[in-house]
Amino acid sequence: MSFRRFLIKRTAIAALLTLIAVSVIFATLRLLPADPFSALVASGSLTPSEVEQIRAMYGLDDPIYVQYFRYIQNLFTFEFGISLTQQRPVGEIIIPALVNTLVLLLPALVVTAIVSSLAGMYAGWNRGSWFEQSSIVATTVFRATPIFVTGIFLLIIFSYGLGWLPAFGMRSPLANPQGYVETFASVDFLKHYILPFTATVLFYSGDFLMLARNSVVERKGSEFLMLHRAKGLSEMEQLGRAGRNSLLPLVTYFALRTGMLFQGVITLEVVFAWPGIGRALVQAILNQDYPTVQAAVFIMALAVIVMNLTADLAYAKLDPTVEAGDV
Amino acid sequence: MSGYSFDTETAKERLRSELGRAGRTLRFVLQDNAAKAGFAVIVAFGFLGVFGPYLAPYHPIEDTLQQGGSMMRLQSPGGKALLGTTSFGKDVLSQFLAGARPTLIVGLFGGVGTGILGFLVGLTSGYFGGRVDEFLMRLTDLTFALPFLPMALVILSFVTPSVWLITAVLVVFLWKMPARVIRSEVMTVKERTFVKSARARGAGHTRTMFLHVAPNVLGIGFLYTAYAVGWSIVAGASLAFLGFGDPTTTSWGRMLQQVFRSGAIRTAWWWVLPPAVGIGAVTTGVFLVGRAFEEIVNPDLQTEQE
Repeated sequence: MSFRRFLIKRTAIAALLTLIAVSVIFATLRLLPADPFSALVASGSLTPSEVEQIRAMYGLDDPIYVQYFRYIQNLFTFEFGISLTQQRPVGEIIIPALVNTLVLLLPALVVTAIVSSLAGMYAGWNRGSWFEQSSIVATTVFRATPIFVTGIFLLIIFSYGLGWLPAFGMRSPLANPQGYVETFASVDFLKHYILPFTATVLFYSGDFLMLARNSVVERKGSEFLMLHRAKGLSEMEQLGRAGRNSLLPLVTYFALRTGMLFQGVITLEVVFAWPGIGRALVQAILNQDYPTVQAAVFIMALAVIVMNLTADLAYAKLDPTVEAGDV
Repeated sequence: MSGYSFDTETAKERLRSELGRAGRTLRFVLQDNAAKAGFAVIVAFGFLGVFGPYLAPYHPIEDTLQQGGSMMRLQSPGGKALLGTTSFGKDVLSQFLAGARPTLIVGLFGGVGTGILGFLVGLTSGYFGGRVDEFLMRLTDLTFALPFLPMALVILSFVTPSVWLITAVLVVFLWKMPARVIRSEVMTVKERTFVKSARARGAGHTRTMFLHVAPNVLGIGFLYTAYAVGWSIVAGASLAFLGFGDPTTTSWGRMLQQVFRSGAIRTAWWWVLPPAVGIGAVTTGVFLVGRAFEEIVNPDLQTEQE
């Protein structure tokens, strides 16, 4: 199969998956037995006739298939509707939250990928060494422990115990920055950043370390390395060659991880009260704010699908044997 | 390996040799010090899961500890409450002991269910190939695309969560991981001579699949079941921490949710540490044993053993 056909097939599958995924989300939210308005009526904040008006405004009285098509159309134009509880467009809630999440996670993921891949290659090269053993055990501990538990430990040590770093949010309560530059380029932000960043790096380090270590171990006995050894390359130069050959799984894994980031950090954002998309989702679910829930889950699903596609394509591009074989 | 006939003698013989192999594998895994520690933690956790509630000095929810005429709120460890009390006057030690059980149930049944379902899907998909494979793999793609934690939160916010419902939700979302790995293993096994010769001698699909192919991927199946136990514990604890756990039971995740929500996390370290250390230790234990087991199952990692 040529790369072009492979690309078309994979993209088509990804598009179809997106459609099915959003349909499942729609069905889940509609089929489950709850009405976001009944709670509002019960609490006395809305009268039944006001509810009628709102229902009509949101188009909830239309036949289900009309609602479905409008939903699909809106999602794919990134038109997420109006929040039920905050009286403003869902986009205004979700997009800044998404930016906050990305600001937290992408640097953390990049740092982890680079540092722990290098450490993993070094560990794999020195198989059986003290460094290999202890790095594997240490990263396995952080990989296995749920990220919010690691976060809680960091909090009780560095915030509540030693009092070095703030425990809550992204900026101190008095800061009122305007615009992204002022928000993210400050010492105050950095102080809030350190703990969640550390928790993320610790959590993801194990996977990259093991992947890099395993592929170096697998390649260590291979013939091309013996050739390099025979050519008289130093240990470090040989490791460099082996490492280059280990990049493929690391690159694909990086893409997959990026896609799954948003869902992975919901608990982390709650622990550190980080105003990201995960925390926005939890609040929207608790408030039964359907449009916001839909938008957040849609963005998370889209991220996974797009990054899976990227991983597939990167794999096919970097490893020619994939193209030839069955996909 | 080829051609098992099915009279009881050979079945017994086989069972014995399988058990012997399992024993040898366990001994080999336990040569690793980290795995040894992990195994000890798992055994202790299993013990707590079964007997914990009976060992608890007080009822974890009903009993409120009193001192003089007033409720013992946020008492530090000592005296009446060995690990202190919560802000509701409950005994932390009792909650910790009772909290092992729901954590164990979700982990064990979620993990084993995930392992079995994933194994069956991967086996079927890899063995038959073609349209069956295409369908099942697109289905796994779909479960990969649906973000697990958000979907679980949505579902659990509408229905009253129970331990068993949470377990079921976990299995529905987690089976994809073992399924993929098993499938790719099956695809290499089914090309080997003994499988082809079994088919040539007239063995049916079901028989070939379960008697000839399955035993060769069982190791990987166990490995992923072990990991799935770890994932299930993490997922169950995460859901409980976010406030979407079973409200009728005391689990470690729920303890952390309560200490966090009440704001006592700032001072009441004795309330935070037992459940946090409990969750961290048991998931780490599972992964450390899995790691050592992986060295045996994954042939690529063995070749270069020095």
